[in-house]
Amino acid sequence: MAVLVLVRSPLLRLRAVLQRCWGRLERGLWPDVFGVQSPPWGPALAVQGPALVPQGMDDAGRSSAGAPSLLEGIVWMAAPKQRRTIEVNRCRRRHPTKLIEVKRNIDVCPECGNLKQKHILCGYCYAKVKEETRLIRMEIYKKEGGPFNAPAAETVVLYEGEKPTEKDEGKRIIERARKRPSWFVQN
Amino acid sequence: SGAACARGLLSWARPERWLAAGGLFPLSCIHTSTSLQKIGRWEKKNRIVYPPQLPGEPRRPAEIYHCRREIKYSKDKMWYLAKLIKGMSIDQALAQLEFSDKKGAKVIKEVLLEAQEMAVRNHNVEFKSNLHIAESQTGRGRYVKRVRCHGKGMFGMMRISRCHYFVKLVEGPPPPPEPPKTGFEQAKEYVQQLRSRTLVHTL
Repeated sequence: MAVLVLVRSPLLRLRAVLQRCWGRLERGLWPDVFGVQSPPWGPALAVQGPALVPQGMDDAGRSSAGAPSLLEGIVWMAAPKQRRTIEVNRCRRRHPTKLIEVKRNIDVCPECGNLKQKHILCGYCYAKVKEETRLIRMEIYKKEGGPFNAPAAETVVLYEGEKPTEKDEGKRIIERARKRPSWFVQN
Repeated sequence: SGAACARGLLSWARPERWLAAGGLFPLSCIHTSTSLQKIGRWEKKNRIVYPPQLPGEPRRPAEIYHCRREIKYSKDKMWYLAKLIKGMSIDQALAQLEFSDKKGAKVIKEVLLEAQEMAVRNHNVEFKSNLHIAESQTGRGRYVKRVRCHGKGMFGMMRISRCHYFVKLVEGPPPPPEPPKTGFEQAKEYVQQLRSRTLVHTL
């Protein structure tokens, strides 16, 4: 599209300005025809993040809904915006649901008098029984002499001053050198 | 001048200070007790001595202060246990602590038993069950920074936290718990507050 510009000589300065503007327009619209072949534009320093160099200048006809830019690919993580004050922290830490509940299921053991929970064995009595069991097991180990020597017969534990009855005919007898404890009932 | 010189030389030796107030045995300038470690404020509270009570006054209940320093536990976690036993009788507190699963429960139980024994031995408490816990508090001990190794040669700084535990036993049954404030009470207080407003900084 060629436009002839006829300007009279008295408006010399205006003509010069108009010529320069026209030249720039031509070079911008048809860079390969007019003007110097400029090297392709591009950012000199590749930086990630919001666009420091406007990239729309290269492709003027590029639509906004084109390929996804760098901004859509970033996943923003949740982070606290403000510091939680000590008052707010205290409200959360001292809320009644966070406090320790008072236990209402504690009783006294009728055997030894120590405290016990209602649905759990008394700790002291259990420890007593455990200790006696350990000593009986030591006696059994001494009698057997080694592992895998358990006899096919039953075992009976007899304390001081006790004799084996007719019921303990074929059974293995383990002797303990102490008085029979009150909780270990003899058959 | 000789006499003055001698007086000046011997001015540091004052014979009246060589003997204690009793006047029998000489004072030793060596520290026999561990006075280099600072005695904390809570321990000093046991040393106050009140003047003898007048015949008409009600009997002042015995107060026993005890604490344990530098327990290897967090002060925030210990606070929950301290809050649990505040205001309970000593037997109830020992029962609750015995069946608590927390690490600090064992430590606090030991402290309470020690304090009970101290009360009976030194502070003239007649019945060891007649004590209740008036105050139980936790404090921050000395923190130490250490390196915590992560994978791939990374490391972070971790804090080893310690705490103190303070308890005050008072003779007598525990005070009854305060009834919760009703809405009516709160409303009455609010109205009272509004009524008691005056003009400030005026003639």
